[in-house]
Amino acid sequence: MTIERIGQRQNGCGPARGSLPESRRTTRWIKSVLASTVLCAGAWLTPAHAETATMVLATEPPTLVSLTNVATTALAVSGKVTEGLLEYNEDLSPEPLLATSWNISPDGKEYSFKLREGVRWHDGKPFTAADAAFSINLLKKVHPRGRSTFANVTSVEVPDPQTLVIKLSQPAPYLIKAFASTETPIVPKHLYEGTDAASNPNGNTPIGTGPFKFKEWQRGNYIVYERNPDYWGKPDPKIDRLVVKFIPDAAARSIAFESGSVDFGYRTPVALSDLDRLKSLPNLKFETKGASYSYNVTRLEFNLDNQYFRDKRVREAVAHAIDRKVIVNTIHYGYATITYSPIAPGLKEFHDPTPSPYAYDLKAAAKLLDEAGLKPTDGKTRFRLTLDFNPITTEGRRLAEYIRASLARIGIAVDLRAQDISAFVKRIYTDRDFDFAVNGASNLFDPTVGVQRLYWSKSFVKGVPFSNATHYSNPEVDRLLEQAAVENDPKTRVGLFKKFQDIVAEDIPDLNLVSPTFLTLHNAKIHDLATTADGAEGNLAHLYVK
Amino acid sequence: MSTNMTSLPVTLLAVPAAKNGRLSAFLRQPTFVAGLLILGVVMTLACVADLLYPGDPQDLVGPPLLWPFQKTEFQLGTDSLGRDIAAGLVHGARVSLIIGFSAASIGLLIGTLVGAVGGYFGGLADNVLVRVTELFQTVPAFLLVVVIVAIGEPSLKVIALAIGIASWPTIARLVRAQFRSLREQDFVMAARSLGYSDTRIIFVEILPNALPPVVVTASVMVAGAILTETGLSFLNMGDPNVVSWGSMIGDGREMLRTAWFLTALPGTATALTVLALNLIGDGLNEIFNPRMRER
Repeated sequence: MTIERIGQRQNGCGPARGSLPESRRTTRWIKSVLASTVLCAGAWLTPAHAETATMVLATEPPTLVSLTNVATTALAVSGKVTEGLLEYNEDLSPEPLLATSWNISPDGKEYSFKLREGVRWHDGKPFTAADAAFSINLLKKVHPRGRSTFANVTSVEVPDPQTLVIKLSQPAPYLIKAFASTETPIVPKHLYEGTDAASNPNGNTPIGTGPFKFKEWQRGNYIVYERNPDYWGKPDPKIDRLVVKFIPDAAARSIAFESGSVDFGYRTPVALSDLDRLKSLPNLKFETKGASYSYNVTRLEFNLDNQYFRDKRVREAVAHAIDRKVIVNTIHYGYATITYSPIAPGLKEFHDPTPSPYAYDLKAAAKLLDEAGLKPTDGKTRFRLTLDFNPITTEGRRLAEYIRASLARIGIAVDLRAQDISAFVKRIYTDRDFDFAVNGASNLFDPTVGVQRLYWSKSFVKGVPFSNATHYSNPEVDRLLEQAAVENDPKTRVGLFKKFQDIVAEDIPDLNLVSPTFLTLHNAKIHDLATTADGAEGNLAHLYVK
Repeated sequence: MSTNMTSLPVTLLAVPAAKNGRLSAFLRQPTFVAGLLILGVVMTLACVADLLYPGDPQDLVGPPLLWPFQKTEFQLGTDSLGRDIAAGLVHGARVSLIIGFSAASIGLLIGTLVGAVGGYFGGLADNVLVRVTELFQTVPAFLLVVVIVAIGEPSLKVIALAIGIASWPTIARLVRAQFRSLREQDFVMAARSLGYSDTRIIFVEILPNALPPVVVTASVMVAGAILTETGLSFLNMGDPNVVSWGSMIGDGREMLRTAWFLTALPGTATALTVLALNLIGDGLNEIFNPRMRER
């Protein structure tokens, strides 16, 4: 199974790009095997073994195409088969994928893409701009974020089979970052036309243009993808098989990495407490790159309709009682960055590093509560609150336990309430039956997409998960966010977001605490895993085993 | 006769002296005494928890992940958040015992009522109650507890109730069997002929005589309830506002390879307590066993 093969970057010299007949291609491969090397000026040659790489996920994806569902596990697998128009490098600047070139009109209202020629779907049908146009119209309807991402899209036109033109009513400065495989998957029109996207069988047995073909999904166990020999980016992919295994227990995932039964995982696939031990093992490597498409911020969200949190002095007191250094060092074992802003430090051009005006100071906290008329009733406790926490990470519960201990010191008694994720979402966003909550929010690739929903008064909509949970409403903030969403000049836009961050840091409708560091963990034999902003969520065409 | 019957049931009247003799004999039996001693220590610690470790055992008091004996103020070390393990163990003993005894009481109450009514009356009532008991027995007890806690909220009350609801069928079957054999006995006939009501016969005449095997089972039920709560907390379904041995094991699970004491200490406490309850159960079984009387 270890045939020596020469892999080369897709933009190298010109052998077989989908035009050679099968027999000649085979001959070529045999020749290259015999010769062990192909001389080719200007190409970056990467020797690779044709092998299997195994990815580990904690839980099973609900679907294999991130079209109607953007669960993290669906994002993890979708791009292998179903590609997007663009991919992004570490600082989120666009690179060609299904589109080879693109142009944005100076007024920011027209996007035109030249699409790659000779690309075929896995079922043999040709890929054209009609597929791309169909997908974008479909995403606008069925994708959880599509309605807002493509809100300004008025029409999608196909002047010729290789050209796609998207017309907007107003500029959408974030839009060029939204064409990644996982965010805006391009699906085959001939399979989706006239069907219900959510129940379409393609979600379970996907057909795409990607480097890997779907082979088998053994429910509760694993997914197998096979090398697409007709991939447009030949000779990529460099591995023969990609296996995705589901292992729910963190300790079992650690053991799987140690024993070599899985090769890679992302978003820190093992328990944080186990990282130091695993780091000492020579066969494992840790990678911080490949996480810039989805920075997260861990937050404490106050219900501003609560009788206590309505009073800003109480929120200030809570802010004074929480030490972010402890959260980084103890709760996250050092694998997090302090943030005072809802815009993660990773989004460097937008993030405002100014510390919160409410520094860690227990005396100031107690004084504020006294001023608010909340003196201790029994000599110790001032009042009692219930804290909910998002249960999908173990750190959420640990952070809640830290907050309980911290607030006890200023006389606020806190009861924790444990529940599953659906009960949590219903409680916070539909029933609004909570005092305050430990939650996380993804910034995604732009603050308009990831952060606006948390503060915009119009995104306080009951029943919409991960929207404005605090019920914050500030006309000035609304104005800044709405202007930033359509501002075509990058500098002015950054200025608008800076002003927005100043106001929410002062108003504290919530406390932004830390941004967790997501590590990609892989076996030392795996190379070129995190070559794009979305890392292991990318198509993995360049990944090789050596 | 009738005055005696109201105060003490017939069969128990005959043996108090012999029983005391046997009790002292069994107090010389090492396993039974060991069980009593261990449980006694655990109960004492649970009672004086607030004196030994005042304050909230869930407070973050020290640097995280201190090993036992590394610092004098935290003899048994601290967990990954910097909570004192010793304080957790002592306060956890209280929670584990409260859950154990209250869940067992709930199970006993339901089981005894169902078993007594079914066994005494027989016929349709018995048929229906036996079916209901079987229905509960077909559902794995732990799953039933998980479901009830998931529907309700993970608080001590709900957890105790859930464990009680999941564990009563054993008692019900035992009590029913006892009642079926005892209801034909002469002393029950005598009570009937005196015109006693069914309630009085059930609770005052038959029940005290049916109790010995139930008491034995009850001590094992307490152990079972402690283990179930430990399992629940291990799965992060316990009450997050109290520290229990199970939640300590669950919190330490991730660090099993690097800080094994986090799981070993509460694990040992759980094992010892459960062992003690089983030893006591075995001892009681011997005490109540009529075949032992001649020895």
